[in-house]
Amino acid sequence: MPENINIDANQIDKINKITLEEKEFRIKNLELFKAAGFPNKRLEDWKFSDFKNIVDTNFKILDTNKVTTISKKIDLLKDFEHNYIFLINGNLHSSNFDYEKKEKIKVNSYNSSSNYKISDNPMVCLNHALAENGYLLEIGKNYKFKKILVVYNLFTKNLENKILNIKNKIKLNENSELHVMDYTINESKFINNTYEEVILEKDSKFKNINIQHNKSNGFFHKFLKNKLSLNSSYSNLIFSSGLKFNKLDIECDLIEKNSNCNILSALFLKKDEHQEIKTRINHLAPNCKSFQSVKNVLSPYSKGIFQGKIYVKDVAQKTDAYQLSKALLINDDAEFNSKPELEIYADDVKCSHGSTSGSVDENSLYYLMSRGLTRADATKLLIKGFLNDVVEFIKNPSIKKFIENKLEENINGY
Amino acid sequence: MLEIKNLKASINNRQILKGLNLSIKPGEVHAVMGPNGSGKSTLANVLSGKNGYEISGELNFEGKSLKKIPVEERAQKGIFLAFQYPLEIPGVNTNNFLKTSLNSIRKANGDKELDTLSFLKLVKEKSLELGIDEKILSRQLNVGFSGGEKKKNEILQMKILNPSFSILDETDSGLDIDALKIIANGVNSSRDKKKSFLVITHYQRLLDYIKPDFVHILSDGKIVKTGCSELAEELEKTGYKNFN
Repeated sequence: MPENINIDANQIDKINKITLEEKEFRIKNLELFKAAGFPNKRLEDWKFSDFKNIVDTNFKILDTNKVTTISKKIDLLKDFEHNYIFLINGNLHSSNFDYEKKEKIKVNSYNSSSNYKISDNPMVCLNHALAENGYLLEIGKNYKFKKILVVYNLFTKNLENKILNIKNKIKLNENSELHVMDYTINESKFINNTYEEVILEKDSKFKNINIQHNKSNGFFHKFLKNKLSLNSSYSNLIFSSGLKFNKLDIECDLIEKNSNCNILSALFLKKDEHQEIKTRINHLAPNCKSFQSVKNVLSPYSKGIFQGKIYVKDVAQKTDAYQLSKALLINDDAEFNSKPELEIYADDVKCSHGSTSGSVDENSLYYLMSRGLTRADATKLLIKGFLNDVVEFIKNPSIKKFIENKLEENINGY
Repeated sequence: MLEIKNLKASINNRQILKGLNLSIKPGEVHAVMGPNGSGKSTLANVLSGKNGYEISGELNFEGKSLKKIPVEERAQKGIFLAFQYPLEIPGVNTNNFLKTSLNSIRKANGDKELDTLSFLKLVKEKSLELGIDEKILSRQLNVGFSGGEKKKNEILQMKILNPSFSILDETDSGLDIDALKIIANGVNSSRDKKKSFLVITHYQRLLDYIKPDFVHILSDGKIVKTGCSELAEELEKTGYKNFN
């Protein structure tokens, strides 16, 4: 049991309306977490992110007690038209689907913790034990969203020194389509531990953009479990710089033929920011495609990590899997770790991976500066150029502009 | 405009320029020719302010020493280098880069920055004048450009930034005759009483289109002979062996 953390097992008793089975599952997971503690670098999956050490260094006390919910108004983004779900500390506060056919959309609070597998990730165990907040979103058959859905994720000031466990579930039924932007606004120094499931039925299409509203002292861990059925498609664009610690652990199961999965990131990490993207793409059926491109720009005293695994099951013939990680280090005080892994049991597949990390190219800087640009401006231009191709994946011009501005804001502070 | 006296430059403890003298007055076009390894590109780099060279001697531009002036300030003062090998900068839109560049030069000289509209108007005008397809400017800077397109892009940048002193480092190398004419036209149409050019080339061919006021032969880090355009023709016949 971690010394600095106070977890009260009675909390599980207080959770409303749970079956005996769920209660046992939660208690079992709590015991697992208590035995393991926060994950440290001795665990292979955490070798570059010693979370125990990070927690010990940054938190003197921690607890998982519930906070009183403060009702707040949100300032909606005005840059583009959108539907929204507004979450306060993970709890569903309000939603608006004025652009859509409401009968096709189901959105509810979600606090179930049953039918999940036992995980060897202690943070997932902790989540299974205590998650009480979250939302469930389900899109009806044959329904394609007209506008993007922004999920405003507000974390309030009274979360200081708390661990918040959130569980979300998104389900897209046959031939439906949804674009989501996760927009996080954080006011506290706390640990956010989220488990999110995305289930894509046949022919459905899901696109996700992740971005922070502001720089904050958040320590975030998110485990994403995605299941892709026949002909379905999943994309995740990650622009989530700005947290003190952020680990995204993404698992994609391509369970049926012709499904495809894209994971792209463009991150600009500033001083004392630590961000890890870990992926595991499981090709479990033939003719599936996966594409991963992770780009990191690292300021002095920042740390970036990419651990990417592609697993191809023996039956998954004609798999097309690609993975690339590129890091640009602004100087020697930045750190980037990359661990690509391929595990292939089928013989007719196309799998490739690459990883590069380097500093800003002096000759390119010289070229730009010979046209009158200062070193700082030339560097900014190169950084923007480096991250730009991820933004190009966004088709809607006003959303693209919004993301470009956000990135630029971030880079200009360099 | 430019006064170089006894200029020595070395890189990684290897001396390349070994006491070079050159004086360029406003309105003049000077050509520098010389065999491989004679120091032509080093001269261009040193003038533009590239880091990494150890320099001694005098290097004055418009009456002031350039030695302590960094690359970007030299550009702001009106020195332009058309690169022998223009770099590919992925993800950077050529127009955006040029606008940033022009405005940083204007700002440094106390001029008003151009808005996007007036900038695009200027670009249109200059590319039309040169006969360059302005479409290349909406692409990523030099990425996937052919050799000719890269060189044309350098000359278009020169036209837009409107420097008082331009150095062309083997801009003619690898060009077909049409592209060569565009490059020459870029220089000729810019020539006036105030602007000077230093044209570095291997071939007399370019000098059929750009008539230099002076031709210098650079050999082993020094200018060994200076003459008028006939010198280039002589060189074409006899090679460099007589000038060592």
